[in-house]
Amino acid sequence: MTKLYKPEQPRSSLVTGPVAAFASCITPGLGQLLTLQIWRGLLVLGSMASILGLLAWRAVALAPRETGLLAIFSKALARRPFFIGGVLLGALILWLWNVWDAYQQAEPQRRGGVAIFALILFLFFTLGWQISEINLYKAVTELPDVWPLLSKVLWPWEAAVTRDTETVIATAPIQIPCEGSAPESPAPIAGQPYIIAAPTCGELSYMDENNDLVMGTPLHLEGEGFAPNMKTQIYWKDSVGQEFHVRYQGEYVDVQTDSVGEFEVDLVMPYRLQPPSAKGVQLHEVQARQVSEVGGLKPSEPLLLSVERMIETIFLGMMATVFGIVFAIPVSFLAAKNLMSGSKLTLSVYYLTRTILNIIRSIEPLIWVIIAAQWVGLGPFAGIIALTVHSIAALSKLYSEAIEGINTGPIEAIEATGATRLQMIMYAVIPQMIPPFVSFSIYRWDINVRMSTIIGLVGGGGIGFLLIQYIRLLNFRAAGIAVWFIAITVALLDYISAEIRERYT
Amino acid sequence: MLEIKNLTKVYADGTVALRDVSFKVEDGEFLIIIGLSGSGKSTLLRCINRLVEPTTGQILWDGQDITAADQTELRHIRRKIGMIFQQFNLVNRSNVLTNVLTGRLGYVKQRQSLLHRFPQADRELAFKALDRLGIRDQAYKRADELSGGQQQRVGIARALMQEPHIILADEPVASLDPVLAHSILEHLEVLNQEEEITVLCSLHYIDLVQRYASRVIGLRDGEIVYHGSREDIRRMTDAEFKNIYGQEAVRVGGGLEGSVGGSDDKTI
Repeated sequence: MTKLYKPEQPRSSLVTGPVAAFASCITPGLGQLLTLQIWRGLLVLGSMASILGLLAWRAVALAPRETGLLAIFSKALARRPFFIGGVLLGALILWLWNVWDAYQQAEPQRRGGVAIFALILFLFFTLGWQISEINLYKAVTELPDVWPLLSKVLWPWEAAVTRDTETVIATAPIQIPCEGSAPESPAPIAGQPYIIAAPTCGELSYMDENNDLVMGTPLHLEGEGFAPNMKTQIYWKDSVGQEFHVRYQGEYVDVQTDSVGEFEVDLVMPYRLQPPSAKGVQLHEVQARQVSEVGGLKPSEPLLLSVERMIETIFLGMMATVFGIVFAIPVSFLAAKNLMSGSKLTLSVYYLTRTILNIIRSIEPLIWVIIAAQWVGLGPFAGIIALTVHSIAALSKLYSEAIEGINTGPIEAIEATGATRLQMIMYAVIPQMIPPFVSFSIYRWDINVRMSTIIGLVGGGGIGFLLIQYIRLLNFRAAGIAVWFIAITVALLDYISAEIRERYT
Repeated sequence: MLEIKNLTKVYADGTVALRDVSFKVEDGEFLIIIGLSGSGKSTLLRCINRLVEPTTGQILWDGQDITAADQTELRHIRRKIGMIFQQFNLVNRSNVLTNVLTGRLGYVKQRQSLLHRFPQADRELAFKALDRLGIRDQAYKRADELSGGQQQRVGIARALMQEPHIILADEPVASLDPVLAHSILEHLEVLNQEEEITVLCSLHYIDLVQRYASRVIGLRDGEIVYHGSREDIRRMTDAEFKNIYGQEAVRVGGGLEGSVGGSDDKTI
């Protein structure tokens, strides 16, 4: 029998009050130790040492260039007066309090008092606030910054559909620089859009040695034969065929055609980083583009990809669960104490199995993915391996506990009817095993699908893989679509799995 | 006739549950075994159908040695011995009908039974048994939806399906209230009298013993310390009572209504 409660014997102190106080004055907690309040003394000593150590660390972090204790602390105090000053004051109060406390502890009747530990906790909290860089001011003032992102993620559906587009392009050649004879703008063809550029040669904008932009040759464009009253975008195609939307003073150069489909626009030949090898005459091209949407709405690429990856994710979770179940069932028998307590050998197998399962289970699937990706490469298969490994460990534990919890009464009763061993298993064991097995397996499937949305982030395939790519491309609407799919699937699965488990057990 | 000869059971941890127990049971008897929790009542009953393997001794049933039977013989013996339990031991998730039908497992073809198929005759037998115990309308309910008294009746119906010659009842009413206890024991009494099924029943309550027993055995620490007929019970002396239940036991109600507390302890 273990004693649950042992009444505290008031142990007599080794020293008198003033001696204890003096000891604590020199080394916090020493006085308490001398009064044989061992735990109290160690706690005070440990807390004081940790608080001062952490404070010194933060002070050095705040004043990295200073040397000497005093210089560091005065600089740190100047930068964060409330934090450094507050903790220093707190430590001082704690030290005084510890002296008084040691004096008190010397008298058995006056022992106790937990207020000192409340102060210690408060000091740790203050340090924690600074160490973890909590900044409420920033959280409030910079809240609007998150809105552009959040609004796209929360309502991404504008990006869910798209239309086919048709582009009308007219081009005019531009020679860089003006040397020899400049090219001619193409001759106008009736009924076809065309542009005339003037001049047809010149200099591109460039950066001087001070990184200031030097404007290139001004360019005048006239267009005819375009669709009337429509936005027309001016594009530039450089000598290696790169096309880009021209900017002038930071804005894209767009122009509206008039009612007969003509426009005029002035711009400056754009900046283009030229490789040092680019020498001599180059032929560029200026383009006027009219992009019009044709046909009906159709699902966009992010939507289609999200659906595809979501399906992949659900199956990824399912495959991992099935593999997990297949391996976990035999392992669970090895991990069930009631089956394995027969001999010393089986019992050691039990302990070994349990230990291995605990270790595997304590390593997150995210880490297993990284290991599996080294093995079979990035993609859903790596995810399946990672989730399978984790599922085996988790399910084996749950199954083995179900086996341990089996009621032997029905087994005895069925045996007593003259049933064979097989009949006994069929009628007494299996009906008891099925509910927990089904329940745990479905729950695990639920977890695995949820996990597989995450493991994609580190290369495990599925929708997480897509999500992290969209996030890195700053395509938040597309990312939002993926997030919505994850949320809907997880919520649905959560509901379904709870419903099945409810009915089945 | 059932004859127990020098039966001894020592468990693996060294506990001696039965010491050299010998007695005879005539066909058609209602034998009640009394004794404290841990006195060996459950072990004794379980040795008879070898749910517990006896260490030494013999159990002879109509001349056949149960202790020497091989697995097939044992199953054939077991199917003629019904058993009901304190905790009913039904398969909770299966319905009442399935639980009752498991009583036929010793008779039906194994392959059929593994697919949960039972002959029509057995199903009719099951309904007849449920009818007899007044729970036919519960046939398709899950066993754990029934009350304690109903569950024990399912237990009796299951035993009845074996068409048993003997019923072993291990504290069949210890989990039930007094009214239900009488109703369950009355069912056993009817089976005992009408079908001439021998009943071996362990009980805690002396008043129930006096009402139903045709003969009584008292066990203490695995040994038989009392042996008497129904009439002997009425004349049981204080000394005999304390010999069975220990010196601290208190008789209530002038010796006839005596009972001992602590009915819920697990018995060995």
